[in-house]
Amino acid sequence: MFAGKFKKTLLVPLLIIAGTSVFVFSTGRQKIDFSTQVKPIINKKCITCHGGVKRESGFSLLFREEALAKTRSGKPAIVPGDPGASEMIRRLHLKDPEERMPYKHQPLSDDEINILTQWVKQGAKWGEHWAYVAVKPVEVPKAGRNLFGLLPADKWEWPKNDIDYFIYDALQKKDIKPSPPADKAMLLRRVSLDITGLPPTQSLTTQFLSGKITYDILVDSLLASAHYGERWTAMWLDLARYADTKGYERDAGRSIWRYRDWLIKSFNEDKPYDQFLTEQLAGDLLPDATNEQFIATAFHRNTMTNDEGGTENEEFRTAAVMDRVNTTWTALMGTTFNCVQCHSHPYDPFKHDEYYKFMAFFNNSRDEDTWADYPLLRYYNEEDSIRRINVVSWLKKNNYGKEAHEADLFLRTWQPSINSINTDSFINCELSDTKWLTMRNASHTRLKHINLDKKTQLMFRYIGYAANGVWTIRVGSKEGPVLKRVSIPKTKGWSIMKIDFPQQAGVHDLYFSYSNSTLKTPDASGIQFDWFYFTTPLPGKGLPGYDSTAKNYWNLVIKDVPGTPVMMDNPSDMYRHGYVFERGNWLVKGKEVFADVPQSLNPFPKGAPHNRLGLAMWLTDKRNPLTARTIVNRLWEQLFGNGIVETLEDMGSQGIEPTHRELLDHLAYRLMNDHHWSIKKLLKEMVSSATYCEDSKVSEESLEKDPYNKYYSRGARVRLSAEQMRDQALALSGLLCEKLGGPSVMPWQPGGIWLSPWNGEYWKKSEGEDQYRRAVYTYWKRTAPYPSMITFDGVGREVCTARRIRTNTPLQALVTLNDSAYLDAARHFAYKLEKENIPGIRQKINKAYEQTLYKPAAPAKLNALETLYYEALRSFKKDSAKTCEMIGENNEHNNPETAAMVVVMNALLNLDEVVTKF
Amino acid sequence: MTQKELHIQRLVKEAEEQVLQMNTRRHFLKECAFGFGSLALGSLLQSCGVGSSSNLITHNLFDPAHPLAPKLPHFAAKAKRIIYLHMAGAPSQLELFDYKPELLKLNGQDCPQSLLEGKRFAFIRGVPKMLGPQAKFSQHGQSGAWVSEHLPHLSSIVDEISFLKAVTTDQFNHAPAQLLMHSGSARLGRPSMGSWVTYGLGTENQNLPGFVVLTSGGKFPDAGKSVWGSGFLPSVYQGVQCRSEGDPVLFIKDPSGMDRDLRKASIDAINKVNEEEYKEYNDPETLSRISQYEMAYKMQVSAPEVMDISNEPDYIKEMYGVQPGKACFANNVLLARKLVEKGVRFVQLFDWGWDSHGTDPSLAIDLGLINKCRQTDKAVTALIFDLKQRGLLEETLVIWGGEFGRTPMMENREGKQNPYKGRDHHVDAFTIWMAGGGISKGVTYGETDEIGYYAIDGKVTPYDVQATILNQLGFDHEKFTYQFQGRPFRLTDVSGRVIEEIVG
Repeated sequence: MFAGKFKKTLLVPLLIIAGTSVFVFSTGRQKIDFSTQVKPIINKKCITCHGGVKRESGFSLLFREEALAKTRSGKPAIVPGDPGASEMIRRLHLKDPEERMPYKHQPLSDDEINILTQWVKQGAKWGEHWAYVAVKPVEVPKAGRNLFGLLPADKWEWPKNDIDYFIYDALQKKDIKPSPPADKAMLLRRVSLDITGLPPTQSLTTQFLSGKITYDILVDSLLASAHYGERWTAMWLDLARYADTKGYERDAGRSIWRYRDWLIKSFNEDKPYDQFLTEQLAGDLLPDATNEQFIATAFHRNTMTNDEGGTENEEFRTAAVMDRVNTTWTALMGTTFNCVQCHSHPYDPFKHDEYYKFMAFFNNSRDEDTWADYPLLRYYNEEDSIRRINVVSWLKKNNYGKEAHEADLFLRTWQPSINSINTDSFINCELSDTKWLTMRNASHTRLKHINLDKKTQLMFRYIGYAANGVWTIRVGSKEGPVLKRVSIPKTKGWSIMKIDFPQQAGVHDLYFSYSNSTLKTPDASGIQFDWFYFTTPLPGKGLPGYDSTAKNYWNLVIKDVPGTPVMMDNPSDMYRHGYVFERGNWLVKGKEVFADVPQSLNPFPKGAPHNRLGLAMWLTDKRNPLTARTIVNRLWEQLFGNGIVETLEDMGSQGIEPTHRELLDHLAYRLMNDHHWSIKKLLKEMVSSATYCEDSKVSEESLEKDPYNKYYSRGARVRLSAEQMRDQALALSGLLCEKLGGPSVMPWQPGGIWLSPWNGEYWKKSEGEDQYRRAVYTYWKRTAPYPSMITFDGVGREVCTARRIRTNTPLQALVTLNDSAYLDAARHFAYKLEKENIPGIRQKINKAYEQTLYKPAAPAKLNALETLYYEALRSFKKDSAKTCEMIGENNEHNNPETAAMVVVMNALLNLDEVVTKF
Repeated sequence: MTQKELHIQRLVKEAEEQVLQMNTRRHFLKECAFGFGSLALGSLLQSCGVGSSSNLITHNLFDPAHPLAPKLPHFAAKAKRIIYLHMAGAPSQLELFDYKPELLKLNGQDCPQSLLEGKRFAFIRGVPKMLGPQAKFSQHGQSGAWVSEHLPHLSSIVDEISFLKAVTTDQFNHAPAQLLMHSGSARLGRPSMGSWVTYGLGTENQNLPGFVVLTSGGKFPDAGKSVWGSGFLPSVYQGVQCRSEGDPVLFIKDPSGMDRDLRKASIDAINKVNEEEYKEYNDPETLSRISQYEMAYKMQVSAPEVMDISNEPDYIKEMYGVQPGKACFANNVLLARKLVEKGVRFVQLFDWGWDSHGTDPSLAIDLGLINKCRQTDKAVTALIFDLKQRGLLEETLVIWGGEFGRTPMMENREGKQNPYKGRDHHVDAFTIWMAGGGISKGVTYGETDEIGYYAIDGKVTPYDVQATILNQLGFDHEKFTYQFQGRPFRLTDVSGRVIEEIVG
């Protein structure tokens, strides 16, 4: 002990002296490292004026070729190998603030100047930021173990797996000791909340605490629980900006919960992460894509759709596409790419046009900010699904392979149809509310660039407002030859009609006119169109089975079924060109660009298609430096409270430096190569580490040397997430409904939360057990999210959020103290306790405490809660009306004793220990 | 004070100091930790400008334990608090402040093609008719400001106000235009002005939220809660909606059956257990939890108190024209005064119903608009007068305006005559006014053309308005930033100019 202390006091000053001298010498003799020594100076002191947005005097330090190029003076500012001839270095030394660099700022320190000078002398080599270099195997610093053994004070064998060697190594450098292992109670609650988002079940609790099962088996059981998928889905929903509404002004409902269920299922099946991402990015492009693979692509259909009348659909389509680009980078690759929207990245190696090349992967998708959110994957019931399969197999059997594929796609998605919002040149007609083409008597419009090659059939979706309408389609001009004249009946709402027309080769502009003399006023609408589908009639007429197949096909087409928004690309004849937007303005289009990935990262896989599927292959390629690191960092943050790189959203040179870069790389390498992208295996490795299992007690030493637990000198202590808060309260009180999946639910919320203009939707409180579902199923309205979850740092989900910032405010206390949902939980907790037949109030309270924290309450804590019970009891005995109000129901629990226990349970659910994971 | 309370108080105070120290240290280190590693500490201290006056607000200065503690701005502020009156839907400048006799002459004529070419309107199609002013105007006060007959009360205080008559925007739909006005971006996801301000300044009364939102008119503004959202700032800075019906603040009321004494006892018990926990685990966060529960208890008293207008004297109620017990604009305006008086930093009002398209009587440019004016004129005027008589106006900046203006043409939705007289959304010119908080008195800045279509002089944008508001609060809008996704973001994005012409 004495020796240890002695060593410590001596060591500290020694280290500083040694450190300083190393530093000075290193700049003189050793090789300067661009990323860690030069780039930070450039980013902090130079780049604001010389790179990205500004290039003062024609000098930019963004890329090497720019830095070495001639500046406006005609000479380069950096001459590699010759600091004496380099204007940049000369300027750093000047005294006149008008001439010295940084311009009109504090001069650089001698050390900084020295670094830059040596760097130029050594050839001004550019280096790459660590996060943009492929993950390589890392040597585990096992040496730490031996050294550790030499220290006399520490007897226990601390490290359990490789993670711990990295952690220990860093702790040792800081002269900090790790904490001893947590007790079983702490560990049980921690690992259960982490893996399933819920407190442990009664049976797991008994088995683990009694020693019947090991920690290892406990972890396996938790990973195998169906609740595992719900918990990790809750995390993913912020990244996917999932919501049950479309956003913007009207913020009307959107049915996209099947995507949420796909996530739960995929997490539970432990779908390998590379496949998990591939299906979300490009499930529709996989060969013979299944419904599930289509649903996965709803990931990028969680973008917002603007239903406000008068909005430009193209503007909001473009906004959605850009959001997909930004989300792909922020959520999946921990990089802020949106800067590149307007200019080359000021700090990271991405060029302006690379943004738009990347955007071209998403720009050719079928969606157009339509009201219906097309394209939708249509959901047939089982019987109809069989009919659909029969139609397709009949076509295949009769050698109509291409047609079979087309029919299948159309039945499942109504695509590729042309939305009526694409019409223009309106005479006496309009896009009604900018959503659908609506025509009156004697009105005309145009539908441009329709490929009619080999097409002789048109299906269209419409509302006929009046009988006896006539719709005429002409080719080439308003007066051109008539392609078809169609009589339009009055319909009950939306209808689909099918017409045949004579064959026309090539691409044409079609001119529509509508007439109906029976319309009473010139303003009256006659017809409204949704979409047009130009196709060929179902082939095989005359073959056996044709009639029933054709009938089934048509019945399925017109069937009104629920749909989920999915991604789908335009067919080649509807390809949407992509351009650079000058300074990020979508109205100012620059040069045309084609789908590609930034040059500074891994190459695009050979032979991969230049579409979203190829993009997914590139992103999940083991050479991609960002994908594995990003998910490892995110999972780590979920378990340990902070990421290894604290800025989950940015691992680039502007993000916060990793605390344990080698560990991050090691785990990223393991995830790809040893765990074959299995998230469960990676989580198991993390929770099995001694680091994870540390006691979270904050020792004096740990607080002093590691106040923010950056070095993991103790177990993590963080407040539960918004979802965990709700789920825990429901689970502890016995209210939790464990049903998995299904449409989102509306648990109790105060009145007056939803008041969107032009939107008749309202919060309809769910019935029965649906009031008590896990938070992940709570209906999420973007402009009016569930209030108690927002108070606990939930996010609006308007755009991708890579990290929730935890806060601690009095409004949070008000939620858990007063929100009816929490009071309801307290009531049922008290009722549950009553049933358990425990003698004595103190024992009852202790039991509740044990059910919450898995160990008996300390006497002082019990005293406080018991005192509260008796105070409450006195108050309720005095006033029986209050008892009624507290119990809130006219039932068998309506007595002062139970009411007092409700008050205690309400307090229990508010304890710091209970709202904290530790 | 009992022994127990004293003890808790001491604990809390110690905790606060401890946490504050740590956070200062943490942010300092974070800011300095530019990848040098600890070896270069000496040079780091130098490069971070220790001892220099470099302003810390420009960094993400956020103390999770005391996120709303008062902070100092960049320079001495003229205004300490804001009341922003947003007339959601966009009131017509042509019927209220921007007097255009020439437009009257053109009434009923076809709109010239030159005004329509290359324009995008929300609803106007084809060739609409011009619509003359639907109100009589006269000049008022020493400043001679033009105000229409619809605002008889406001006319009496024009000398306290500065008008911006040539405000323009680039968003012609409500939700994006409201977002642009309040968050500096037409897309969702940026922090609102109130969030920025409470992030930068904290708030003076810890027993009330720092950023309060009050809505009236039966609907939320079109952009919903996002116009008072905190975007990428910590969620603690989002606006807290206070309501004149139901709980004044969500979850502020004790559950039925629990009286104040019992709530006090229950918070004492919670804090007692938390103290025990602190002894056991030594986590400073536990201490800030204790203080948050104390604050919650106090807030439960102060919020309903300040939200109760019934105890105001009758002459005040009369002056504002309040209707106790109802959710209405006048009540909210009086509440706004009470809130700023109690030290709330930013009070944001939204009043819905100004979207005078002419699609129904309540949205007609004549009857509907007159009705909205009647609901608001008295209260707005009373607010300025009342703030002044209490000596609060000098340090309280009041802003009145919508998200865009209205067209000099009559709306013809889908090419048809609307059932009532109305005007479409117009981005090229509208009026906003400001008063108090160091704004000049009786100034009119900016001018539109003869029909109020284009700004021809003194054109300003929402960014300029934001820059001016921040300026009055003591912020350089170009330096007041938050680091997010790898770059510093600011309320005014990449533009904005302080409108010196109206700064007194």
